[in-house]
Amino acid sequence: MDVIVCVRKVPDTAEADVMVEKSGKDIEKSRLTFTINEWDNYAVEEAIQMKEKYGGTVTVVTVGQKDVEDVLRRSLAMGADKAIRVDMEDPDDAYTLANILCAVIKNQKYDLVLFGAQSGDFNRGVTGAMVARMLGIPHATMVNGIEVLDGSIKASRELEGGLNEIYEIKLPALLTIQTGINEPRYVSISGIRKARQKPLEVLTPSDVGVGSIEPMIVLDKMYMPPPGKLAEFIAGSPEEAAAKLASILKGKGVL
Amino acid sequence: MMEVEEASFDKLYDVYACMQCGKCTGSCAVSLRTKLNIREMMRIAILGNNDDLKEHEEIWDCTTCGICTVRCPRDLKPSEVIVGLRSVLVEEGEVPSTIRDALESIGNNNNPWGRPKSKRADWMNDLGVEVKNLSAGDEAEYLLYIGCTASYDTRIQKISRAAVRVLTKLGVDFGVLGEEEPCCGSEARMMGESGLFEMLVEDNLNLFNDFGISKIITLSPHAYNAFKTDYKDYKKRLEEEGIEVPDLELDVVHYTQFLAEQIDEGRLTSDMMNEFNKTVVYHDPCYLGKRNNIFEPPRQILSIIPGINLVEFERREDRSLCCEGGGGKMWSEGTGTGERNAVIRARDAGALGAEVIAVACPFCMSTLEDGRSTAGYEESMEVKDIFEILDEVLK
Repeated sequence: MDVIVCVRKVPDTAEADVMVEKSGKDIEKSRLTFTINEWDNYAVEEAIQMKEKYGGTVTVVTVGQKDVEDVLRRSLAMGADKAIRVDMEDPDDAYTLANILCAVIKNQKYDLVLFGAQSGDFNRGVTGAMVARMLGIPHATMVNGIEVLDGSIKASRELEGGLNEIYEIKLPALLTIQTGINEPRYVSISGIRKARQKPLEVLTPSDVGVGSIEPMIVLDKMYMPPPGKLAEFIAGSPEEAAAKLASILKGKGVL
Repeated sequence: MMEVEEASFDKLYDVYACMQCGKCTGSCAVSLRTKLNIREMMRIAILGNNDDLKEHEEIWDCTTCGICTVRCPRDLKPSEVIVGLRSVLVEEGEVPSTIRDALESIGNNNNPWGRPKSKRADWMNDLGVEVKNLSAGDEAEYLLYIGCTASYDTRIQKISRAAVRVLTKLGVDFGVLGEEEPCCGSEARMMGESGLFEMLVEDNLNLFNDFGISKIITLSPHAYNAFKTDYKDYKKRLEEEGIEVPDLELDVVHYTQFLAEQIDEGRLTSDMMNEFNKTVVYHDPCYLGKRNNIFEPPRQILSIIPGINLVEFERREDRSLCCEGGGGKMWSEGTGTGERNAVIRARDAGALGAEVIAVACPFCMSTLEDGRSTAGYEESMEVKDIFEILDEVLK
């Protein structure tokens, strides 16, 4: 089984204060740390587990400038065999990105293409599905379980309300991977150093045959959501406060 | 054959000299409450069998307190062998997910707590005193190294704030690194991630050099031990690998040593203090006591506080009961059942009539605060860092 995994480097915004840059087109990045997109990390682990079980190869692909190479090195240290970086600015527009990735992937040998279900920066969750459509192969999104069969796979998709649905999908196919599908392994620093010997190919957009692409979406403006009405603090003794709270809730028709 | 960074266990730790006497297991701080049996771990290291290792998740129960190393009659270092065995698992990616997250956070955020670097200096908000920031161009004789836990943990931040107030009152010329302060890496090393530790040693020696820092006062005995001992070893390692590191000799003291010096030189005296009329018992942290034989300075500081009634644990100094905060235990629940050592410690303190357990380590603060509430002393006993007691009594 030859698997291609598309990965992306994103800012870690879980606990950091995110601010909009002066231009209104980007966030302030200077005090943020950047890592592999969490969903992509699960996708890489899933690909490597498949390789360990069924043999084959794992190739990781990303689009971006040299500073994103550390997510590729990290994936190589996890067990991927080779990495490809398309040397250009990571496009804001998912359609543009999908075109580039499709151009890279279609020249590779693959049975399965994996994406993270979404990325932690824009949370669009569309790039994988677009690439599948462009490659003309079947896909399933939000996959939280994979069973490999002969010439096909069974993919379990996570639906709302705790439901799962299972599809049998013919290979080659594309899946977008949900977190929790596995337990990604730790990648040691010396492992990352050793992985420097593994091949990392850098391609230009013209190498992959991509000319200028008209973006489908252009970012107009970023802004912080306006603050809502302030919360009301109910003062007084516990008895008084409880009585006041009860009357407010009654007034709003909750009780 | 199982190897640590391309060298065998015997070459690194002389494990063939182990005579399997079991003194390590007999003295182990956690062997009574977890499955950890160090003698068995030594045996695995001697036989060099990786597969055996993967089945022993209790290897993460070791607190690296170092008592086995203190007591080994063959002068071996069983606690270091545990670190070496962990590094085999780290290189294979086979670590508990909580340990994985802590290590990844050190790599990404420069702290094991998963907190952003941009909030590292939040403990300084509304401090009320001016502090020099050595990363912002200020110059001072000493760096007060706060450390990750005392930067981010809301209870332990109080120690950092007390430290700044006390050192300011004593007129010490010191500064901090604010948001630029890095992780010392001690816990990364003890969790077996020696590559990450080596990277931190390289980065931090460069950072200290860039900011003109050579004299360091640490809050944490773990940072003290790392800067004092491990940085020297790893600096040598880096040089052997042909990596250029600044020729920087760090002059490191734990704050209790620094304050004891102030007492010896007459700059910190009983006259400067109000009375502290409480019964206090001092808990020796392993990284100050067992690992560095520093027993007197904390006791000397407490003993000059007027009105204090200082009592002692039966298990103290190099026999002190480990609080279970070190060796990555902050990020690993472990296989242990039964009462935690910190709860036992709180009960022992209660039996002595102690109203305050005095600590000199952020991890001890964290575990003993838990132990005190679990043991039911929430109302009648406090855990205070020596800096916090001084902050309270200094006029």
